[in-house]
Amino acid sequence: MKIKHIYKFLLVGLVAVIMGACTSTEADPKFDESPIERLNARKKELNDLLLSSADGWKAVYYTDSTQLGAWTHLFKFLPDGKVDMASDFDDDTDIHRSQYDIQLGSAVSLVFTTANRIHLLSESDNYPTPALVGKGHLGDFQFFYYGQENGEIIFRTNRSFQELRFKKATAKDWDDLHDNTPVIEAITGEITSPLFRLLEINDGAAVQNYDLDYNPDARFGVAASLVPGSNDLINMSFAFTPAGAVVEPPVEVKGQKLTNFSYNSTDDTFVSTGTGGVKATIKYTTVPPVITDDYKKGIDGQPQFVISYIAANLYSAPTTSNYFRSLILKANAALPANQSIARIQIYFNSAFGNYIEYRFNGGRPSVYHNFTTTPNNTAKTLVLNHDSWDNGSAIIPAPAFLKDLDAEFFTPAGMYIKKENFTISFINTIYTMTSASSSFRTTTYQL
Amino acid sequence: MKILQKYRAVAMISVSMLFAACAQEDQPKETQLDYTVRNKTELDTWIETSFLNPYNIKVYYEWNQNLVDNNRFLFPPTVDRVKPAMEVVKAIWIDSYSTIGGADFVKKISPREFVLVGGTNLNTSGTVTLGIAEGGQRVTLFELDYLNRKSRADVTRFIHTIQHEYVHILNQTKPFDEQAWAKLTPAGYTSSWYIYTDAASRALGFITNYARLNIYEDFAETASIILTSSKAEYDAILASVTDATAKANLKKKEAIVVQYYKDNFGMDFYALRDEAQKNTTTVINN
Repeated sequence: MKIKHIYKFLLVGLVAVIMGACTSTEADPKFDESPIERLNARKKELNDLLLSSADGWKAVYYTDSTQLGAWTHLFKFLPDGKVDMASDFDDDTDIHRSQYDIQLGSAVSLVFTTANRIHLLSESDNYPTPALVGKGHLGDFQFFYYGQENGEIIFRTNRSFQELRFKKATAKDWDDLHDNTPVIEAITGEITSPLFRLLEINDGAAVQNYDLDYNPDARFGVAASLVPGSNDLINMSFAFTPAGAVVEPPVEVKGQKLTNFSYNSTDDTFVSTGTGGVKATIKYTTVPPVITDDYKKGIDGQPQFVISYIAANLYSAPTTSNYFRSLILKANAALPANQSIARIQIYFNSAFGNYIEYRFNGGRPSVYHNFTTTPNNTAKTLVLNHDSWDNGSAIIPAPAFLKDLDAEFFTPAGMYIKKENFTISFINTIYTMTSASSSFRTTTYQL
Repeated sequence: MKILQKYRAVAMISVSMLFAACAQEDQPKETQLDYTVRNKTELDTWIETSFLNPYNIKVYYEWNQNLVDNNRFLFPPTVDRVKPAMEVVKAIWIDSYSTIGGADFVKKISPREFVLVGGTNLNTSGTVTLGIAEGGQRVTLFELDYLNRKSRADVTRFIHTIQHEYVHILNQTKPFDEQAWAKLTPAGYTSSWYIYTDAASRALGFITNYARLNIYEDFAETASIILTSSKAEYDAILASVTDATAKANLKKKEAIVVQYYKDNFGMDFYALRDEAQKNTTTVINN
């Protein structure tokens, strides 16, 4: 009987193995297709979709609406991985051709694989604010495909994972793109346009003014209330159309959302009109909206005050005006090729009195313009009065190549002086010096 | 015994069932991965015949986020800019080494991948990275879109990156006399090389400020600066050094470089320099 038991157990074991062997380990498929089949289908779906629109697609790309505006791009996708593109990034709104690809990674993405207009937003060395050094305009050119809605393609950007929608473009969109340029130029202003901008909000009963600090390169502005004691700030992220500007988030006045600002070329204003007298206007002004008492630092009897425009660090500062830059370039052009203005250093109440030192690169010795000051307490400006020129040891005639640049400091209307609340490259306090009669403004370090 | 036979028969059937149970299995089907290749452009064909086929070097010009640092704001080159830049690489780097070192020289020792980037790699600190070599296998070249082939300074700056990285690759194949080198200017090496100027570094016996990072960078900088300068230009650099010890050390370093090329690769380093200079002139004038 003993051997019989052994066989019995063996048999039960074998039957158990056989039963076990036939148990299905396969999971129930939740989808009809495998993951790779689904990704491939999605890839084809996106490519077909991109190619399907006869006039291509339009994307108004806000790269980061907390500090930058938007750039309008038009894309026409062509067979064999080619794409035609145009954008209003600068005044070149022509169509350029490059390559694109639909890549398969963690998700299906559209990649613009060779340089074109959209890559201008990703130039590390072309940054609109000091905070964006090495980051350009924070642009992406790889977009993850998230499906469609109402004929729009929904993407998310590669780095910042923001939603970006491609809308179907029309032939008119392509024709009109270059009409964005005059509108952009209008808000940017010309070299001699007044430097300051106001945002005037009329709620139907009263008008409130805001100092609009607009950065044309960033397409972004912050409007600060001019009501004393008010800390009210309005962030404005701009996109442009041939008719004017689109502001995000909308400016809220009495519960009304104002977002479309039409450009009026006759008086150079951008106006958004609501109902019941509600209106918001962006306009230029020659008088700084905020006038400080900092001009008093330069008047006689004060401690020594030295501010210096250092070309290497401050030429490209956002507060340095284009008109100032143009005069610097003009003066430099009159110098030998290896020489240029290195510093314009202004000394108030020094042991040697008041003077502007023009310091040069390339071994050229400094020249000094001595002056006296007269404060204008009504306009809150400091008027600089010519005294003499010297080279450190002897009186010299006024250098001809500095004439136009130097004359701006000596405008009879005087100079506004303002302590700024930002720094550039170094911890030194920044002061700006602005002409009360032109768009001349220099940025300086306090030394 | 009868019962035993019965069990035996049942066991036999069971075992045979066990073997038969696994006979039917799904066979793998064709791959689902998409291996279709986009139609080759003229540029693709040119790269293939100029770099991939003769030298086994792959050139990536289309954006692939896996080949670059995604935290940087970089972008791919403009298509039209790729060929002019790679012609410079071919003429000044590959052709010079091939002429002096033999036709197969670069085929045997070279980076296997070039990654091309259109824009500047500006660091948030304000410094600019011109090139990156990873493990001697992949060299990334930046600022391709801004290369002006008519400017000798531009071309020299661009080719210097490759010459420098290639010296590293040669060093990885055949080490140089590190002990002799380390004895020359041991006190001048520093990780904060970038706060010094080239002139100040030369006064200490280093050809550039970057050469002060370590002896390997020193060797690569010494060799690549000589390769990217004409004899007159290099003599002018030496003449600008007033400190006698510094000048002597620069000359000793030059001698080690020359000896290294002769002993390990049988190459006349000065002939290589002259060839590179000749090819640079040809590139700029065409």
